[in-house]
Amino acid sequence: MAAPSLTVVDLARRFGDRVAVEGLSFEVQPGEVFGLLGPNGAGKTTTVRMLTGLLRPSSGYAEVCGVRLPADEDGSLLRRRVGLLTEQPGLYERLTAHENLTFFMRLNELDEVKAWARARSYLERFGLGGREHEPVGGFSKGMRQKLAIVRTLLHEPQLLFLDEPTSGLDPESARTVRDAVAELAAEGRTLVLCSHNLAEVERLCTRVAVIKNRLRTVASLTELRREGLALEVTVEGAAARFVPALQALPFAPTALCEGGRLRVMLTDEQHAPEVVSCLVGAGARVHLVTRASRPLEEAYLELVREE
Amino acid sequence: MARFSWARARAVFWKDFLDLRKNRGLIWSMLALPAVLVVVPAGVVFAYVRSPDDPNLRVMAMYYDFTVNADHAARFLVDKVLIDWFSVYLIMPVFVPILISSHSVAGEKERRTLEPLLASPVTSLELLVGKSMASLLPSFAICVLAFVCLCVAVDLTAWPLDHQLVLPTRMWVFGVFIIAPLFAFFGNGISVLISARVGDSRLAQQLSGLFVLPLVGLAAGQFGGFLKGGGVTYALLGAFVLVLDLLLVALTSRLFDRERLMSRWN
Repeated sequence: MAAPSLTVVDLARRFGDRVAVEGLSFEVQPGEVFGLLGPNGAGKTTTVRMLTGLLRPSSGYAEVCGVRLPADEDGSLLRRRVGLLTEQPGLYERLTAHENLTFFMRLNELDEVKAWARARSYLERFGLGGREHEPVGGFSKGMRQKLAIVRTLLHEPQLLFLDEPTSGLDPESARTVRDAVAELAAEGRTLVLCSHNLAEVERLCTRVAVIKNRLRTVASLTELRREGLALEVTVEGAAARFVPALQALPFAPTALCEGGRLRVMLTDEQHAPEVVSCLVGAGARVHLVTRASRPLEEAYLELVREE
Repeated sequence: MARFSWARARAVFWKDFLDLRKNRGLIWSMLALPAVLVVVPAGVVFAYVRSPDDPNLRVMAMYYDFTVNADHAARFLVDKVLIDWFSVYLIMPVFVPILISSHSVAGEKERRTLEPLLASPVTSLELLVGKSMASLLPSFAICVLAFVCLCVAVDLTAWPLDHQLVLPTRMWVFGVFIIAPLFAFFGNGISVLISARVGDSRLAQQLSGLFVLPLVGLAAGQFGGFLKGGGVTYALLGAFVLVLDLLLVALTSRLFDRERLMSRWN
């Protein structure tokens, strides 16, 4: 098995007395699309900044594409191996797309002929072909973010960090950027996607780390949905009248009526027979009991609400 | 420690210079000061030359030096204003780099371009050198251009007095090519240092601009007759600023690093 692209061990960062993030430990395998999921202020951006060598960890360590962090004095080797797409595209608006990309080619000391051949193919793919000589200030937000993706790919990074790539974009622009990221994922690139957009994470990621100033869990999306058990119960007549009885059960944190069916979350699957007996005791005629996977949102909210 | 790459420092210079060339607002505000510094002394010289026998000029000349020959009062005053004006001229090599550097360093934070830049392999020293070149070279070019314009304007207006060129003098040439670059280096260093610690280019400009005030005081002292300007005074001033420049280099190279730039930003 190939060595992980990213190994994080007990990583923490404090700003004075304030803990931005602590106790982070996870691995990302080559070719994996890994999500860093958490609410605003959870420490996702701080984590990405540590892993790209922009901030030094207060404690713990990480190995990113074979470079151990805290890195050498300047971390330039690390920055040659990783790419960072920031939440704001961070382009020079008075300069043209061509000038913006040329600048980053020179900072990476790339062979400009080869780098331009690569850049042109990305520009074409992302629908920016023929727009290179226009000032970036005239681009839409979605176009800017796509140009920023091209800039991030210029030096062919082994690992790409995408920090809230669709934040602040209108739905259409967000979709074009998401499509572009999906294309990169389909190419087998290793991506770490920071987001609080669950639909985006569900579409793009295979595994996620949920963080809120500390690590809440690391799991595949399937595992995350299965954590805890959800039962779907079909009863005769109006199901809503049995909700109060279910909500009184100590082992069922959530009980609701959805589409004429009852949906009950259980802390343990051993309590399933007790749910049925509770319903029967309340006068329900139970037709069908099935196991259901939880929506990601429910699992996520439960994790970030935990103290 | 990572090796220093001139190619990357040049790339930073290229980008900043290109950005400056396309920023018309900044260019006009940069050119306003040299224009004033040329027009005002030319106007004063014109006033002296227009009526050289005016008894008020003799009184003014004697206020500065009671041994002055009253018949040469106008020429004395022309020479005096040109010597003293150099302290006002020195505002330009301090202020123009402040305008450019605050825009290029704090401006990166404002426009949110700093993070992608710091995520590239460029080192802090390369960034510092590239940005300083982008600030110092245009500033020096503007100072020389302003000096050439000043020479032409003053010589044209002073010519009727005794059909001689009054500029350039050795003091001015020494000042423009030796002292002014030291002041420009100082203005750039102060501005980079302040810009690295604040997140707003206007605030950086205002704070850095305070360092121009001692020069205004010096000029006021000279025109008020309390201080005497001249080659020796300006050379001593240059030596003092050279010491400040060395201190700034030490301080800036210590404080201008990725970690500080990133954590000060957010």
